[in-house]
Amino acid sequence: MDWAGIVGKSPFLPMVEHAKKVHECVLKVRPVADAVLAGKIDELTELQHQMSKTEFEADQLKDLIRQSLPTRFFLPVNRDDMTNFLTQMDRIADDAEDFAVVATFRKLAIPAELHADFLAFVDKVVEVSSALLEVSEHLAQLQKQAFVGPEAEEVLLKIQQIAHMEWESDKLSRKFARRYYSENWADPVTIILLDKMCRALAGIADHAENVAKNLRLMILRK
Amino acid sequence: MTLLLVIAVGLGFYKAWTIGANDVANGMATVVGAGTLTLKQAIILASVFEFLGAFLVGQHVTETIKGGIVPMETFVSNPMVFGIGMLSVAAASAIWLNIATLLSRPVSVTQATIGGILGFALVSPLGGPKCIQWSALGGIALSWIISPLTGAVFAYVLYRCIVRFVLKSRHPVYFARTAVPLGFSATLGILFLSATYKGLPAITINLPFYGLLLIAAGICAISYAISWYVVELRVRDRRIRLKDRYEVIERWFGRLQVITACYMSFAHGGNDVASAIGPLAGSMHVFSGQAIGTHSSISPWLMAFGGAGIVIGLATMGYKVIATVGHKITEITPSRGFAAAFATATTVLTCSKLGLPISTTFVMVGAITGVGLARGLASLDLRVIRQILSSWVVTIPISAILAGSIYWLLISIPWR
Repeated sequence: MDWAGIVGKSPFLPMVEHAKKVHECVLKVRPVADAVLAGKIDELTELQHQMSKTEFEADQLKDLIRQSLPTRFFLPVNRDDMTNFLTQMDRIADDAEDFAVVATFRKLAIPAELHADFLAFVDKVVEVSSALLEVSEHLAQLQKQAFVGPEAEEVLLKIQQIAHMEWESDKLSRKFARRYYSENWADPVTIILLDKMCRALAGIADHAENVAKNLRLMILRK
Repeated sequence: MTLLLVIAVGLGFYKAWTIGANDVANGMATVVGAGTLTLKQAIILASVFEFLGAFLVGQHVTETIKGGIVPMETFVSNPMVFGIGMLSVAAASAIWLNIATLLSRPVSVTQATIGGILGFALVSPLGGPKCIQWSALGGIALSWIISPLTGAVFAYVLYRCIVRFVLKSRHPVYFARTAVPLGFSATLGILFLSATYKGLPAITINLPFYGLLLIAAGICAISYAISWYVVELRVRDRRIRLKDRYEVIERWFGRLQVITACYMSFAHGGNDVASAIGPLAGSMHVFSGQAIGTHSSISPWLMAFGGAGIVIGLATMGYKVIATVGHKITEITPSRGFAAAFATATTVLTCSKLGLPISTTFVMVGAITGVGLARGLASLDLRVIRQILSSWVVTIPISAILAGSIYWLLISIPWR
């Protein structure tokens, strides 16, 4: 007899899959940054194609999860927190793709003394995303544990760390921005493109923090 | 007459077989789903406990079904009407159960049987609306609403307690050392009470209720002490890393879940087998040439016969259903399965003891909903709950109409 149907499919496992896919996008940010600094425009186009493909796959995963969550399902967490989690996660992938797309617009000549600051910022952003993935991977397991207990405490702690890392990435962003705005080496177009890329990078870190905050709400507001 | 007796026996066996094939999944699916037991182990345990439940507590419910709604006295003048009537009740509920299974809707044997009796009583010449004890029927209908609610509330509270006191605590393993023996001893205590208090005459201990309660308390205390010691032995001197704590707790709940699943099979056997065999017991009585007694007792052998039918149903078809359902509910962790099964079995056994024929399926649905509302499930499909409720509502009228028509058909055949 089919009463088993009252147990709906878990949206949490696909959410972990989605988080992994999104991080896959962010992992491509560093190769793009390297190619920008090296001025390899062909490689950039190729990387941007890969990025768009991964972002599309992430989008599909997100839509699939959305579709499986009509209101007839009663969820163990606040529905808004869940949809916000997905939306913010999606924006991370969008920003990563944006970064790759802007990088292909024009061959940029960035002076060698700026490279270190740029890469430091990029690495920090990727680090934020890695930390977020590490936290998101707990999602399915946390659901099994009713969002309480030692593992939940640990995740809450890590979420604090993500917020801190985002603040660090902000500082690096400002530092880099001061350098490329204050020096008189570049033409305005290069600066505009650099600014756009930095905004995309800052967006990744920002949205990653928002995802983490949403996860915290899921844990605290169950 | 002999032909009718053969039909009655065959139908009884067929109904028991259907129950074995479909309903037994109730208790065992969660254990298989959580991965605590293999399919084979689950089947063996289910067979043993279903049989025992039918044999030991089944009779009590059977009497209610037979006599509660329509008084036997109505049919004393013409036992044949009663015999054929009960036969058509059994046939009607078997047909409706099969249709519902094809539509994969969970319906209850008990409800179909009650609906059938209602239909038969309304159309039979000796019956009519006047002979039906509407108050008894109302009580039964009320128990169908109350029992899933009780199961839901019970499971909700139980799961919240597990979350609050075990999962959420700083030292979950330490608290599991208290919770697991507690669940174990409560299960044993209630099992003991249900088997002895108003149970099978052969094993009913001649003691007043408080005396039995005292013995049950003693059993609880002893089993608590023993299981506490066993858990203590296993857990002591073992450093459990933070990461593995959850796994350790769920493993303990898994062992507890096996016991509650057996408990549920036992309760199911006692409740549902009785409602399948009950009407047929009446007709077999008539067809074998005996008069209707006002309280005709059902021989334990008939219950054993029903139990055997269940076991065969389980062995031929039931394992498939358990595997399918178990696969669908892998979401249910041992602690959740324990909460749902314990709440279901306790509610069902209590109602069986009160003589209320309720539906195990419905209490189970209620209990799982309760766990879900306690935020224990990744998602709870409210639409399916609505569908189940709707199939519950239609069961009574449909089986009543079916039983009425079959009765009308059978009575027009000139049986020698």
